Amino acid sequence: MLLMVQASWAERAVVLVASKDFPADNISTLDTRKIYLGVSVAIDGKNIRAIRWYNDERLNQIFLQSVIAMSHRSYERRLLSMVLKFGSPRPVEVDGQDELVAALAKNPMSIAYMWKRDAESDTRLKIIRVLWQEN
Amino acid sequence: MALVRLIVLTTFALSPFARAEPQQDMLFFTSVEGADMYAASDPALEDTDIHAKVDFLYSYNSDRFRFLAEYILSDEESELERLQAAWKIDNKTRLWFGRFHAISKYWTSEFHHGQFMQTSISRPAMDAWEDESGPSPSHITGVWLDHEHSVGQQSAISFGLAAGLAPKFAGQQLRPLDILSPDSGHDLAISARLIYRPDVLSNNQIGMIFARDDISVVSDSAPNLADLSAIRLRNIGVFANWSWQDWRLSTNWTYFDIDMHYNSGDVPENFLMGYLQAEYQVTENWTIFGRTEQADKEDNSVYLQLLPEVIAHRGMLGVRWDFADSQALTLEAAATSIQGDNFEHEDFDELRLQWSAVFP
Repeated sequence: MLLMVQASWAERAVVLVASKDFPADNISTLDTRKIYLGVSVAIDGKNIRAIRWYNDERLNQIFLQSVIAMSHRSYERRLLSMVLKFGSPRPVEVDGQDELVAALAKNPMSIAYMWKRDAESDTRLKIIRVLWQEN
Repeated sequence: MALVRLIVLTTFALSPFARAEPQQDMLFFTSVEGADMYAASDPALEDTDIHAKVDFLYSYNSDRFRFLAEYILSDEESELERLQAAWKIDNKTRLWFGRFHAISKYWTSEFHHGQFMQTSISRPAMDAWEDESGPSPSHITGVWLDHEHSVGQQSAISFGLAAGLAPKFAGQQLRPLDILSPDSGHDLAISARLIYRPDVLSNNQIGMIFARDDISVVSDSAPNLADLSAIRLRNIGVFANWSWQDWRLSTNWTYFDIDMHYNSGDVPENFLMGYLQAEYQVTENWTIFGRTEQADKEDNSVYLQLLPEVIAHRGMLGVRWDFADSQALTLEAAATSIQGDNFEHEDFDELRLQWSAVFP
């Protein structure tokens, strides 16, 4: 019974992940929001980059509401504005877990968000923050 | 062309010093606009136009370097608008060089040529492009130092300082250096900008700008320039952009202090230009907006007389419908005054309809 409850809880959570080589074990929610909104956040002088999901609508909706606090349209406009004004890159978009892991490995200074159940089952990743969980 | 090669090659030659995978981005801003001008008092002012435009933007980013290029293609022009590269001195400081948009023009710095990004169809007159009777330089070729100082967890003060080649005045407009076909005779432009952002995660900001432009005049390019050798523009202004719930207010007021250098002597003049734009987001997809543009002492300006389409006053209302994530239809109506002959105003009404989009 306890295992069933734990599994259910683990399914309903969104976490921030990075590769095992990421130089920190935690990032604040504020810094996470800054990174995804194009504001420079650095560790040891290296900028942290953001990775987004392309095709998980529910995951993106939770992330936008819980972390970015913007509608999809407002968030997209913000990212476009940063490119237009400063040439700032938009977050890299991935279309699957293998692609996500490869992107994190390619640039160890990247972070991404994903379902907790998927993060826990992948030993190539480390969880650096719980962003949302259903009560 | 040699200057373009230098900027591009320097950026890419130094990019291997990047420690992380570089990122690239490409955007296409497209628009089709129909405009109708109606003037009961002077049918000569009446006109109907349809224009299509594509603005291509490319950016390249590595840890230490950034490259940005913007090219516009329309039925009226084909121009390399921006070609700039930046060296990141530290996480908050960049040194840009190349051709960039004047940092002393708030609207231009926010929206550049990205028509889809600005709620209204029209730009304020004080931010008009040089080839649209813009009263101050929009394009500078030179260097620009940009620094942001964090204040607490979420606020910041940004400071920018730029120096470079100012446009020349020829014919009936300011003419910036064409980076693809550079010519000589451009004088010095200096500008500075100070911005306070109480929350870097929002677009709310208040700021000040200062610019000094020495404009050389091509005296034989128009009869009314025959006796004019140079124009010195100095302007100082304040601006603000503030969003609150479903409202957004944007304003900019700039004082122009000008010396017209004639062969027979200098003639000083000054005037004020400004605007206030309000937007209300009725729903996620519908926005209504309005703008008032005002000026003071512009009627006496000899400098503005050189710009045939400069707008002295405008009252505008509009509505915008956003659809399909990245497209919009906008309708705008305005009552407008331009400088006419003998320092008088000429009045007309405008109706504009525009489709705009950004891809991908």
